[in-house]
Amino acid sequence: MATLDLQTITKSFGSASVLTGIDLAIRDKEFVVFVGPSGCGKSTLLRIIAGLEAATTGRILIEGVDVSMAAPVDRGIAMVFQSYALYPHLSVYENIAFPLRVAKLPEAEVKAKVGRAADILQLNDKLGLKPGQLSGGQRQRVAIGRSIVRNPKVFLFDEPLSNLDAALRGEMRVELSALQRQLDATMVYVTHDQIEAMTMAHRIVVLNKGRIEQFGTPMELYHHPATKFVATFIGQPNMNLIPATVVDTGAEGLTVDLPGGTRMTLPVDASAARKGDAVEVGIRPENLTLGQGVSMRLRVLERLGGTAIAYGQMEDGLKLCAALHGDAAVHEGEAVGLTFASADAHVFDATGQVMRRQQAPARAA
Amino acid sequence: MIDRLSLLQKLGVYAATFVFLLFLLMPFIEMLRVSLRPMSHLMTADFTWWSEDFSLQAYRDMWVTVPLLGRYIFNSIFIAVSVTAITMVVVIPAAYAYARLEFPFKALSLGGFLAVNMFTGAVLLIPLYRVLRSLGMLNTYWAMIVPGVAFLIPTGIWLLRSYLEKIPRELEEAAFVDGASRLYTLRRVVIPLAVPGLIVVGTAVFIGAYAQQFLFAITFNNVREIQPLPAGLFEFIGYQDTTWNEMMAAALTGVLPVMLLFLFLQKYLVAGLTAGAVKE
Repeated sequence: MATLDLQTITKSFGSASVLTGIDLAIRDKEFVVFVGPSGCGKSTLLRIIAGLEAATTGRILIEGVDVSMAAPVDRGIAMVFQSYALYPHLSVYENIAFPLRVAKLPEAEVKAKVGRAADILQLNDKLGLKPGQLSGGQRQRVAIGRSIVRNPKVFLFDEPLSNLDAALRGEMRVELSALQRQLDATMVYVTHDQIEAMTMAHRIVVLNKGRIEQFGTPMELYHHPATKFVATFIGQPNMNLIPATVVDTGAEGLTVDLPGGTRMTLPVDASAARKGDAVEVGIRPENLTLGQGVSMRLRVLERLGGTAIAYGQMEDGLKLCAALHGDAAVHEGEAVGLTFASADAHVFDATGQVMRRQQAPARAA
Repeated sequence: MIDRLSLLQKLGVYAATFVFLLFLLMPFIEMLRVSLRPMSHLMTADFTWWSEDFSLQAYRDMWVTVPLLGRYIFNSIFIAVSVTAITMVVVIPAAYAYARLEFPFKALSLGGFLAVNMFTGAVLLIPLYRVLRSLGMLNTYWAMIVPGVAFLIPTGIWLLRSYLEKIPRELEEAAFVDGASRLYTLRRVVIPLAVPGLIVVGTAVFIGAYAQQFLFAITFNNVREIQPLPAGLFEFIGYQDTTWNEMMAAALTGVLPVMLLFLFLQKYLVAGLTAGAVKE
């Protein structure tokens, strides 16, 4: 029931343009994550949806109704802030009840709704405490509790896990995903952490310099990044980019010369490429295996147990990273030969746009 | 925090504190000494910390010498409390506006407040007299309250503004998203969180109001019944002689309720500051 549509949203502060032409259609009950480096405009976009900030141009529609000029409370949204924004002088009960008090609901109704929220979030025995007496994860749950009592159509989260330690963050990720299913609500979630984006989102919006780079499912972004930016942003460790020269194009793909003289034919849509073009071949660390191909001098080896991350340099100084088997028989300081299956390669043209891969997993929803 | 001071350093700290306190408290000690001694001995004997002739006689006699003394003490407190209350009512919304809203001439008007503060009341006495006369306020409580409020508002705004700015903006945004109006947010969120700041500002305003009432009282008022204590103390200066011991006794008695109030407030202030510190 709660769809969220953004139509040509722009935002500028004075002469500085923060967002340019954002068009987005978020489906009902969808968990959408905005991800991007700091300063990409993701928080500003969320604040515009919340009504804390006005868009310079463009329209916001919730359930098809234009709410661009509406006050936050009339939009049917609720927001969870990065710092939780709990009122330190009020008890957990009163913190959760705050929106209901503003709406002047009768006491019995307030009690029922706070009780239900506390049930969902397992805060029943904490209602009498002050936020200062709670742990980080509990404070986070109180902040979520405050957002769910009003039954909003759309939930907005602004980097809600960034103040938690790593272990708790993993736990809260699972809890948030479960909560989303339980509440059956539309959620928009902002983060700079691509792992949060990959694990929780139904669909991810990758933002860069105020523009949408790509909007798609996590695996779509992983297998079919539309641009070099998305390719290097999604996936851990980052994708390797190897400069190459086009020597031939054909129906079966693009034939390139890699540094060190290796010639490969990569199964991508090469219709726009011409002989002699400079391209970049993207290959994920997890797709590199030991073998005859490119050669690098291994500088640092991180053995994580199941995998070993190998960082090295090619002869021309280009840095490479490979995720090898945990027991791989390689040593720091020695030369290592790496190879990859041609079907795993991504190819980006000089403008950073991808050439469509032909053999990768289909564009599944 | 671990106390790392050596014994010698501690002695030094206490010695310095003692000297400093002695310097500050000497006038009060002298007042107390004078108030406890009979008039006839005041000018004759050398300085002593303790003397056999100490008595509380002056504390009894002063109510007879100046029959309106109780009234003066009440007036002093009444005027200072009124000034503080009115100032706070004006300062809280003003400081909040300066801390959070954007409006034309914000910096200029703030600077203006500071500039006004550079004039002491004394410089403006004559113009103030004319203003109060045309408003018909001379010889009323208002003559001592209104100028007091006017001179203390700028200080109050400057002090409270910087405190309010430290309250995280996200708290107010959260309230705004939940549908709270600016005034509701001010009442339910900002003011409760600003209590330690409000006490500091309130204390500063009260002290200011207490200190400056003398000037306004002797200039704008000649009705005995509404005179505050500092002006009322003049009545101990007679045609023949001045009953110094009774004057000092009256002054100490007048300051006593305020001192007790601050003793109480100090505890509250410390509690308030710790509550704020636990916040995050």
